[in-house]
Amino acid sequence: MAIDVTEQSPDLFPGETATRQHPLSTRTEWARPNVLWAIAGGVVGYLIGHWLGNVIASGYTNVQSSGQNDVANVLGLSFGVVGWMGGIGALNYPLAKMLGREPAPTVPEQSWVRYFRMTEDHKVVGIQYTVGVLLFLFTGGLLAMAIRTELLSPTSHVFGPGTYINIVGEHGTIMMMMASSAVVGPLGNYLVPLMIGSRRMAFPRVEAFSFWIFMAGYAVILTALPLGGFPTGWTGYAPLQTQASGGMDSYLVGFAVIGIGMICAGFNLAATIIHYRAPGMTWNRVPIFVWAILATCALLTLATPTLVVAGLFGILDRTAQTAFFVNEHGGSSFLWENLFWFFGHPEVYIMALPGFGIVMEILPVFTRKPLFAYRTAAAGMLGVALLSFFVWQHHLFQSGINPDMRPLFMLTTELISIPTGFLYLVTLGTLWKAKIRFDPPMLFCLGMLFNFLIGGVTGVFLSDVPVDVTVHGSFFVLAHFHYTIMGGLIFALFAGLYYWLPKITGKTMNRKLSQWHFWTFFIFFNLTFFPLFLVGLLGQPRRVFEYAQNLQPLNDISSVSAFFLGASFFFFIINFIWSVYINPRKAPDNPWHSRGLEWQTATPVPWYNFERIPVVLDDPYHYGERDAPAVADLGQELIAAGRVSSTPVDPDDLSVGGRDDLDPRPPIL
Amino acid sequence: MGDAVADDKTVTERSEDFLHLNETPEEIAFELRAQEGALWTGGRLVIGIWTFAFASLAFAYFYLRSANNQDLWRPHDITAPTAAGAAIFAITVACAVLNLYGVRRFRSGVALDWEVAGWTSVLGTLLAVGLQIWQLTDLPFFPGSSGYASCLIGWAALNIALLLSGLYWIETLLARQARLRRALLEDGGTAQSTLPAARMFRASMEGCAYYWGFIGVVATLFWVLFYVL
Repeated sequence: MAIDVTEQSPDLFPGETATRQHPLSTRTEWARPNVLWAIAGGVVGYLIGHWLGNVIASGYTNVQSSGQNDVANVLGLSFGVVGWMGGIGALNYPLAKMLGREPAPTVPEQSWVRYFRMTEDHKVVGIQYTVGVLLFLFTGGLLAMAIRTELLSPTSHVFGPGTYINIVGEHGTIMMMMASSAVVGPLGNYLVPLMIGSRRMAFPRVEAFSFWIFMAGYAVILTALPLGGFPTGWTGYAPLQTQASGGMDSYLVGFAVIGIGMICAGFNLAATIIHYRAPGMTWNRVPIFVWAILATCALLTLATPTLVVAGLFGILDRTAQTAFFVNEHGGSSFLWENLFWFFGHPEVYIMALPGFGIVMEILPVFTRKPLFAYRTAAAGMLGVALLSFFVWQHHLFQSGINPDMRPLFMLTTELISIPTGFLYLVTLGTLWKAKIRFDPPMLFCLGMLFNFLIGGVTGVFLSDVPVDVTVHGSFFVLAHFHYTIMGGLIFALFAGLYYWLPKITGKTMNRKLSQWHFWTFFIFFNLTFFPLFLVGLLGQPRRVFEYAQNLQPLNDISSVSAFFLGASFFFFIINFIWSVYINPRKAPDNPWHSRGLEWQTATPVPWYNFERIPVVLDDPYHYGERDAPAVADLGQELIAAGRVSSTPVDPDDLSVGGRDDLDPRPPIL
Repeated sequence: MGDAVADDKTVTERSEDFLHLNETPEEIAFELRAQEGALWTGGRLVIGIWTFAFASLAFAYFYLRSANNQDLWRPHDITAPTAAGAAIFAITVACAVLNLYGVRRFRSGVALDWEVAGWTSVLGTLLAVGLQIWQLTDLPFFPGSSGYASCLIGWAALNIALLLSGLYWIETLLARQARLRRALLEDGGTAQSTLPAARMFRASMEGCAYYWGFIGVVATLFWVLFYVL
């Protein structure tokens, strides 16, 4: 399988026949593009951009009067991102392509160094994303601890009001950035090709690009605090956005950068799912998790450009002195609200749908029943994706909307609960009369369903104008979306990690520690966030560091629970380190007895995923059925017979079924 | 002739290195079709991405226009320099038409016409981008003086990005064509060869032409918004 890197390069000009080594292979490890070069490129790029911004704008009146050069900040951050991407090697191929060169043969790497490089192996990208997402999660989690520490007392303060709101904004933004890629990045990239029977992604360089720019976004948003933070919370509302200090530049550039990464991730996965499904994998046989990822990709590719453009407008307002969001100069602060939420509400489903996909994929395995109403589930996800474009104005019920328009958007918001209800009913139907196996992934699935029920029902309350107007901007709203995002998505993410980690690592996770993780996570999650519904109904506003004295007991329950909730993540970390490195136990090939295609290939998954491209024969949900048909023909007979393509291929003979003598399986259609 | 055969092998080997790792012919054919399809879908997805980006700009345009805060949507009906605007529009649309025409000729087997049309488009696009930048230095209003002024600056930024993306795509295809032309001479050139490299090239070229058609439509719509309405 390995490629001889001394073969003739494809990048030679016609007539240029000298055999040479691939240029990258001659460099030492440290000299090849890697994360160290990316950091160096990012720093150098930032310095150059900042210097350039000072050259351009230091003479501007507003810069001299305020002492704040947003042009330098924005150029510094933008050049820093370009330098980072250059350092990791993401620009090598696009530049070589301008000279007419096509990609060099990919050399599969086995060294651990590959995790710190740009790679075309979707499994490595999936693992990189997992680490990246957890980094976001833990950073945002630490900031959450800081918030809850401040809220332990209504009068004694750890932070000043400005610092507090900066922490709140940073926490929210980091978590939203994380959540938008939490499942699509790690599990989507790792699993989708395996689940559809593909050997590769459609656009592997775009996939790798999406991860590394995602990490550049992490670095950019971290610069917000040293640049003065941003006082707007994660929603970045104008006119505060236009007036804020330099940290706002990090927010705008960071969100735009992350947005580009999200678009790239969705673009690649959508093309892969549409075109790289194995022969026989009709749309009726596509795993439900893949349907969820496809629906999410539609949202990622179509909704996210609005965020990027809104970010661009914000940057122009702060640097080129345009007035998109400045009422006094012909702009409108409500324009930001509209653009932001036109992305922001589909974003909610970018976070929710993959979580549901994981749960619906896992439930049949642990109930040993077929997935209930498979087609309804797929249709529900597409319905949610479509309707999510028509509900954004419910975020503006309190401001920025013609009151006559409220009933329309109340109706569309309530409508979206119908396909969402489909998804929930599908899970309940699968659980109905099942003999459930309470393994750790299943526990997290059940936890997700419990939490999402609370988050979903309170969401229906909030879609009604009278309730929304009453509790707008309160902790009730905060509790609602934490129940849907953390209670839904993060529980589902851990369900997925516990379920697929044996496939990814080849090691068995410790069952006791997994259970401890679940129960502490579940109990303290609910103890943290349920009281916040109550304090919200009692009138405690979000983003304010002081509150009424009588709300302290509920706040203290929430804060103390939050610390335990944060600590519960250590069970996962300890479990992972213990099970994978300290006391590794080889995982069985198919520990959960799943019928999924991803479990049919070897562990660890070979570079090319499948020895032969499988021919899919049926959907993977025939659990509990006697004589259930095989899911796929993996070509084992061919492999055993050694009948692989060892003879040169005539390019004219690549028509379908043209070489049936070599492959007795059904023709590829 | 010997060189041509060697060149041909180079291209074939490249494709085989990339695609034929221990694969049956059916698998190779399957992946080739998948790649062609992914290029087709990818091209359309890129158009979808840009559509939503420009729809956001159009939303801002109409939102600010209808809100007309402080009567500052477009005071005194002031307009950006119309000559430059018309020139940018005309050049962009001409490039789009040239691309579409070039691809039609390419499909007829006349690759040279497509190359000429492509290189002309490259030059035209560079000119359009240059004009767009120059127009920004010659505006008769301050960027933040009105809603119209803000939207025009936003349009300029997005239009430059869109034109550069189209420029990049067509330039990379032309550069690739320069490398493949001789290599595939024996096999009918990029227009007719059945080699994987040629098939991928044609799929990308079709997507590029479609993309340029989209650029032409965007140029027309926003020219109407900013200079006609």
